[in-house]
Amino acid sequence: MRTGHFREKPGQLIALSDSRTVWGWTLALLVALALAPLVISAYGLTLMVAALIAVVGAIALNILTGQTGLISLGQAGFLSVGAYANGILLADYHVPVWITIPAGGAAASLVSLLVGVPSLRLKGLYLAITTLAFAFIVNHVILYAEPVTHGPNGLFVNGARLFGFNVQKGPPLYYLALAMALATLFATLNLSRTRIGRAWMAIRDHDIAARAMGIDLVRYKLLAFVISSFFVGIAGALMSLQLRFINVDVFALNLSIEAIASIIFGGLGSVAGATLGAVFLSFLPEALRLSFAALPFGGADLLGNNVYEIRGIAYGVIIVLVLRFKPDGLIGMWRDARKYWSQWPLAY
Amino acid sequence: MRTLLASCAALLLVSGAARAADPGVTDTEVEVGDVNIMTGPAAFVGKGFSLGSKIAAAEINAAGGINGRKLVVITEDDGYIPSRSFQALTKLIEVDHIFALNGTSGTANVMAMMPLITDNNLPTVVTEAPASLVYNPVRPSVFTFGANYADAFYAQLKYIHDHGAKDGAWGIIRQDDDFGKEVEQGFDRASKEFGAKMGPALRFKKGTSNFSAELAQMKEAGVTVLANGGIFAGAANILAEARKLDMDIQSAGVWSEGIPASARLSAPAGYDFMVADYVSLVGPANDKFKAMAKQFVSDDELANISRYTYVSYIGLKTLAHAMSLCGKDLTRACTIEKLRGLKDFDTGGLSAPVSFDNPRQLSGTAVGVYQYDVKAKAFKALTGFQQY
Repeated sequence: MRTGHFREKPGQLIALSDSRTVWGWTLALLVALALAPLVISAYGLTLMVAALIAVVGAIALNILTGQTGLISLGQAGFLSVGAYANGILLADYHVPVWITIPAGGAAASLVSLLVGVPSLRLKGLYLAITTLAFAFIVNHVILYAEPVTHGPNGLFVNGARLFGFNVQKGPPLYYLALAMALATLFATLNLSRTRIGRAWMAIRDHDIAARAMGIDLVRYKLLAFVISSFFVGIAGALMSLQLRFINVDVFALNLSIEAIASIIFGGLGSVAGATLGAVFLSFLPEALRLSFAALPFGGADLLGNNVYEIRGIAYGVIIVLVLRFKPDGLIGMWRDARKYWSQWPLAY
Repeated sequence: MRTLLASCAALLLVSGAARAADPGVTDTEVEVGDVNIMTGPAAFVGKGFSLGSKIAAAEINAAGGINGRKLVVITEDDGYIPSRSFQALTKLIEVDHIFALNGTSGTANVMAMMPLITDNNLPTVVTEAPASLVYNPVRPSVFTFGANYADAFYAQLKYIHDHGAKDGAWGIIRQDDDFGKEVEQGFDRASKEFGAKMGPALRFKKGTSNFSAELAQMKEAGVTVLANGGIFAGAANILAEARKLDMDIQSAGVWSEGIPASARLSAPAGYDFMVADYVSLVGPANDKFKAMAKQFVSDDELANISRYTYVSYIGLKTLAHAMSLCGKDLTRACTIEKLRGLKDFDTGGLSAPVSFDNPRQLSGTAVGVYQYDVKAKAFKALTGFQQY
């Protein structure tokens, strides 16, 4: 029998979920995602791919910031390392894509050690500034290492084929991004229930207490950087596959800000929250565009060029309102709704 | 009988194929896309550009459209972010089914859109960021209108040299990207050719706003001719810093400084700075354009006409001209062929005539040099359009 609070077997304590309903809905979602290319337009699929890449990036950042408490503004830097490693290997050395994508992750992981080491002595805003500086350094290296990175001219990323399919557009790219997002999601969910995950949470909650309990701060902080950056590098590699052109402008600071916004908006520390936040913020501009286009009596035409600014303001206002009234983010809203549903008519 | 039926079926198929128009063309409309910077700090560029498309479309439609079809421009905002340009063009192609593309935002943005442009064989006229990356290598459906930054800077420095450069060194301050690289190429060419005494060659990151250290170096080196590679507020800050140090300089700038908003930012420094441009900034052609535009846009919009309005207008007029040459059976292939054969298309004096009948499919490479008169708060033409 399943209860709300009690577990009958030890295995239930570490299961992802012991609810058949949850597994049933998860399966239904997976089937829907698998069938999406059959019903969604090419544009819809492009947005879905962008959202899936954002999910990979947000879950990765959640490992570092949400689970370990290390604030990073260097996401754009790690993304560009992954993207350039993937792009250079594919375009210049014609390495198969099944090697270049993990290589993108590995390159970002390796580079993350450079930032990870100072993080052992820094935290909070000091670490945020350090990671931000790292992103600038990466930017400079890309611009000046012209023989390798093609410098300011950027790089066209072509020739990615997997099982005979061109995985740079359409359904093949979608399935690749979906597979990567699912792999990242399950890897992170599993990690968070292991000794490593619990050590990260202990460090986040109180690093001195964690050390007193025997947690090796050096090891676990570096591990958080390396694993998080690996997934961010994968996201960068996927980004380069979708865009097919990369240069430093593609990896601007706003990407780091958007990644932070995703995990806060979704619910800091929660893998599901990071996923929800990334999906929501990826589709919000499109939802706003469609809403404004549907304004009655030609409202959008009346607004003229101001419609773009108003949409931008609406984007910000929605984020502010959600965080003001639901500081736990989307995942908090979801938990409230679930409680309300299961406990109705009792007060929640 | 079977042969007859097969022949009829084949004929139907062939005629059907012949009538099947490319996306974006109906019996009554032709849709052209425009991806632009409509939000963010550089929004005035996109808004100026969008205005040009609006004026061109209105003028063309008032004259009967393109062989009876109304020209419709659909604008999408990219906020100057390359990944959003990619998404915006995907939307224009997949949802709006545009026939051709006129607005292409910045250099990195157009490069991010390039795979989609080539995949869809989309007739595209690039007028906003005519960097050499766009036409090197040549893409069959892409036509570039505009000079490169190297020529623009060379033209200004040549003018300064020919008309008496002040004694002292020449210095350059430029962004550390593809755009800055082109600026430096023009500076290098001019300084070598004219045997200038070389001052500092400094680079900065896009978005930098404090140039006190850089300008102090320039002052220390005795720079009197400055190639100012900053754009918008950056260029204004460089000049403001030079004024703070009381430097006596002749300044050459980027064509983005030729728009009223930029000039207003730079004016307080008090330098009669120069710009070079491939479209006319002042003169009878501009007056005529504004008089024509008056009937299609509001007074507020009229006041916002800038060089970006002219380049967009020229781009769409060129595209529309090529489309009209295709007659009723409008296809992308035909439009590209007509663009490729375009020779001396008159822009009413807003630029040198447009010709794409060259291997690079590149036109508008001639530039004119202009100088901002701080007292009169207006630009004056120093040279006509010339090839450099």
